Amino acid sequence: MSTKKEAQSLLLGRYEVGKLLGHGTFAKVYHARNIQTGESVAIKVIDKEKILKGGLIAHIKREISILRRVRHPNIVQLFEVMATKSKIYFVMEYVRGGELFNKVAKGRLKEDLAKKYFQQLISAVSFCHTRGVYHRDLKPENLLLDENGDLKVSDFGLSAVSDQIRQDGLFHTFCGTPAYVAPEVLGRRGYDAAKVDIWSCGVILFVLMAGYLPFHDQNIMAMYKKIYKGDFRCPRWFSPELVRLLTRLFDTNPNTRITIPEIMKNRWFKKGFKDIKFYIEDDKLCSVGDGDEEDVGSESDKSLSESDSELEYRRRPTCLPRPASLNAFDLISFSAGFDLSEIAKVVSFTVRKKDCRVRLEGSREGVKGPLTIAAEIFELTPTLRVVEVKKKGGDREEYEEFCSKELKPMLHSLAMEESIPTSQSLPDFSHLLLDNSQSRAGSSNSLLDTSLSLPGSELPSDTE
Amino acid sequence: MRSFLGCFRLKKAVHKPGSGDHAILASETTFTVNEVEALHDLYNQLSSSIIDDGLIHKEEFQLALFDNGSKQSLLADRLFDLFDLKQNGVIEFGEFVRSLSIFHPNAPEAEKVAFVFRLYDLRCTGYIERDELKELVLALLNELDLTLSNDAVEAIVDKTIMEADLKGDGRIDPEEWKELVARHPSILKNMTVPYLTEITLAFPSFVLNTGVQESEL
Repeated sequence: MSTKKEAQSLLLGRYEVGKLLGHGTFAKVYHARNIQTGESVAIKVIDKEKILKGGLIAHIKREISILRRVRHPNIVQLFEVMATKSKIYFVMEYVRGGELFNKVAKGRLKEDLAKKYFQQLISAVSFCHTRGVYHRDLKPENLLLDENGDLKVSDFGLSAVSDQIRQDGLFHTFCGTPAYVAPEVLGRRGYDAAKVDIWSCGVILFVLMAGYLPFHDQNIMAMYKKIYKGDFRCPRWFSPELVRLLTRLFDTNPNTRITIPEIMKNRWFKKGFKDIKFYIEDDKLCSVGDGDEEDVGSESDKSLSESDSELEYRRRPTCLPRPASLNAFDLISFSAGFDLSEIAKVVSFTVRKKDCRVRLEGSREGVKGPLTIAAEIFELTPTLRVVEVKKKGGDREEYEEFCSKELKPMLHSLAMEESIPTSQSLPDFSHLLLDNSQSRAGSSNSLLDTSLSLPGSELPSDTE
Repeated sequence: MRSFLGCFRLKKAVHKPGSGDHAILASETTFTVNEVEALHDLYNQLSSSIIDDGLIHKEEFQLALFDNGSKQSLLADRLFDLFDLKQNGVIEFGEFVRSLSIFHPNAPEAEKVAFVFRLYDLRCTGYIERDELKELVLALLNELDLTLSNDAVEAIVDKTIMEADLKGDGRIDPEEWKELVARHPSILKNMTVPYLTEITLAFPSFVLNTGVQESEL
C-alpha cells in the first residue's frame, strides 16, 4: 500500500516517481517522468540523516558542483537538485540501456565493441581530468549504456575535485572497489587520482575483452598481492598490441604508468577512434556532424587580407546566405547592462559554420574547457554589417587575451590593407571594433560581447 | 496605501526571510521553493558585495553585471529601476525573485514582452517614442565605445520605427510592440536566462538547511 502511494506521488508537482532502479547505502534511485515534457529522468534520493551521520554533507555539496562542471556526451548529466528537511533529490539523466556490467556478465565482448566502450570511457575521463575532476571509483557497475549503445559514466559519489588535493598533490582517502583499485591505493600512501582512474580503466578494458577480472582471487589478501605486484595474465585471444597497452596501464609505478594523452596516441586505441566532438549551445549538448566543421590549423590560417582568399571569396558570393537583419532593438540588446546571464555566473581553433554563424573552438583544454568563441554576422542597414563576437565557453582571461592580442591586431592590419585600393575594387571600409571587455568578478565565467562592424563588407572569416 | 506598505516593508527587509516567505514567492513566480532558497544564496552574495546590509544597491547591481560598480549603462539603470518595484532605491529579495522569474525559460512570453517594453519606455509614457529609441541606440554605441555618424544612427532608428509603427504615429504602442516581437523574436533574447534552471546546482547549500517539509514536495 505504501509503495503504491509512493509510486504515484508527484515530486514538486513536476515528476511522477516510478519504479525503484537501484539502491545503495545512502541512496535509492527511482525512475521518474517529467509530466510537463514527458521526459524520463532518474531521481537519486538520499537520506539526509544517514549522510549527516557519515559526515558526508560537505561531500554531497561537492558532488553537486562536480556534476555541474562536467557536461559530456559520455557522462550522466545532473539536471537539478531538490531537498526537504529529511531528503535530498538528484534529478539526473535517465540512461535506458542499463549497466555495461550486465553485458559483460553474459560473456566477453568482441574486440571492436570493447574498444568502442574503452574509447568513450577514456574520452569522458580525459574530459573530467582536464577539469580537475577525478572519478576514483570506475568500474563496470558505474558504466551505463544509452539506447544508442553509447557509454555513460555515472555515480560520481566518490569523486573529489582537485582542490581537495593536499599540498603534496596526492589524495589520502581509501576508496574504490578492491578489484579495480590501483596498487598505490592499497599501499595507503597518498596517491595521484588521475593515475588511479587510468589503472581502473585498464581493469575495465581487461574485463570487457576477457570476460573476467585481471586481478582476482577468492582470498582477498591474495588478490591485493596480485594487484600490488601487477601480476596478471592475458588470455591467448588478446592481440600483442592490446597486451602492450595493458602492460602500460598496469604499470604498478604510478609515475611511469601510461597517461591519458599517451593512451590517445596508442596504436591499438587509435584504430577506429573518432574523438567525440561536441559543444553546448543554448544549454543543449550538440554533437558535431562531419560536414559541419573545418579545422583551421596554423598553416592554413591564411592572412585574412591575402588577395588569394579575397579572390576565392569573390568567386562564390552567391553561395553565402544573407545575414539575418538586425533592427535597433537587436542592437540595443548587445548592451552588457542588459545581460543578466552574467549576474550569477561565478588556442589553434576548430571552426564550425552555420549560415552566418562561425564558431571557433580552441584545442587547448584549459581547466574551464577549451576557449570557444562565436561570431555572428547581422545586417543592420544594407551597407552596415555588425559582427557579434562572444565567448561561449572557456576561461575569461584567455578570451580577453585573444581579443587584445589576436583579434584587434588582425583587424587593424585588415583596415590597413583595405585602405589600399585593390583589383577587386572593394569599398573603402574603415572598421570599428566594439569592445566592452570590462573585467569581471574573479570567479565569474563571463560572456563578453566584442562586436565589430565592417561597413560595406562582410567579415572575411565568412570566406573560409 | 501602497507607499505606506512600501515604507513598512522597507524596515522589515533587513530581516532574513523565513521559509514561509520563500513558499509565497515560489507560489507567485516560476521558481520552486528550493530554487528560491538557492536564489537567496545568490542574493546574499550580491547584496553584500559593497554594503553588507542585505539589500542590493545600484552599485552592487552594476558590480554584478560588469564587475565595475561605477560603470554607466543606460540599460543597467533601467533594469535596476524595473527590479526596484517599490521605487525605494534598493532591490529587496522579493523584488529580486519576482523580477528574475520573468527571465526564467518557463516564464510566460507575454511577461517578457511587457517587461522589455517597459524597459525601453524610458519616460514611462506608455509608448516607445522615436527619441527614446535613438537615446537607447546612442547609449549602446557609447557603452561599446563605438562612433557612428549621426546619419547612420538616424537610418537605423528610422528603419526600425518604420517597420514597427504600423499606425504611423511615429511611436510604438504595446500592440505594435507585440507584433514587432512576433516578427523578430530575437528582440527578447536577453529576456531568457537558461542558467536560472540550474540555479539549484550553482547554489546547492540549501540542501542542508532547506525549510521544505517532506509533505510539501
